[in-house]
Amino acid sequence: MINILNGIEGTSSALAAQRLRMEVIAQNIANANTTRDLDGRPYQRQIVVFESVLKQKQASLDPASALNRQVEAARIMKDNRPFRMVPMPGHPDADARGMVAMPNVAIHEEMADLIVSSRAYEANLSVVRNARNMALQTLSIGKRS
Amino acid sequence: MRLNPDLDPQRLQGPALRELNGLSQAEPPGTRVSEGSFGNMLGRLVQEVNQKQVEARESVQGLFGGGDVSLHQAMIAMEEASVSFQLMVEVRNKLLESYQELMRMQV
Repeated sequence: MINILNGIEGTSSALAAQRLRMEVIAQNIANANTTRDLDGRPYQRQIVVFESVLKQKQASLDPASALNRQVEAARIMKDNRPFRMVPMPGHPDADARGMVAMPNVAIHEEMADLIVSSRAYEANLSVVRNARNMALQTLSIGKRS
Repeated sequence: MRLNPDLDPQRLQGPALRELNGLSQAEPPGTRVSEGSFGNMLGRLVQEVNQKQVEARESVQGLFGGGDVSLHQAMIAMEEASVSFQLMVEVRNKLLESYQELMRMQV
């Protein structure tokens, strides 16, 4: 198979990874006030951990394997910071002192992460665009006029 | 290819003749199409470009059908198909150009 756009697989995996990260951030924002998660406790903020993987298993033997790395979301971890305690005496989940444990999601933090994720996505898109432009410009080597 | 007069089939007898005939049957001169011939290469190029188009179509169909194809994968597949198609068009233009150049040649 001819490889027209070199290195585009790595960029594609990065785009997928950034998309997943954005979905996790969206979930964090959506559940910023959820006091009952699936386990009955307040929602815990989730973080994506990226790791680089090799494109092919045998690529590790290949001296050119430095160019064979792709990024992958290894796992989605829970943020173990303490919950926000908010005084809300009328709330059904309030404890004896009238405090409610709210999720450890800080909206401003999530917004900053969202911007980082969006910019990273944009950077990868720009790699795709430039690879395509380079290929098209190379094809115009032989053009007369 | 003109045969050496010493190897003229009329004058050859026995196993040498059979060997020569077998050779010429296996590979008739002038019509031999080897593995790496230019026509084959061109055919492979067209097939690969077609393969890219098929991949792009499948990924777009997967995207529309709600499969696990993401938007950027479909777009990248379409771009690859487009660029490889342009490569094929360029090769075809070059080929046609050189053919016309040959036809203009004074004999």
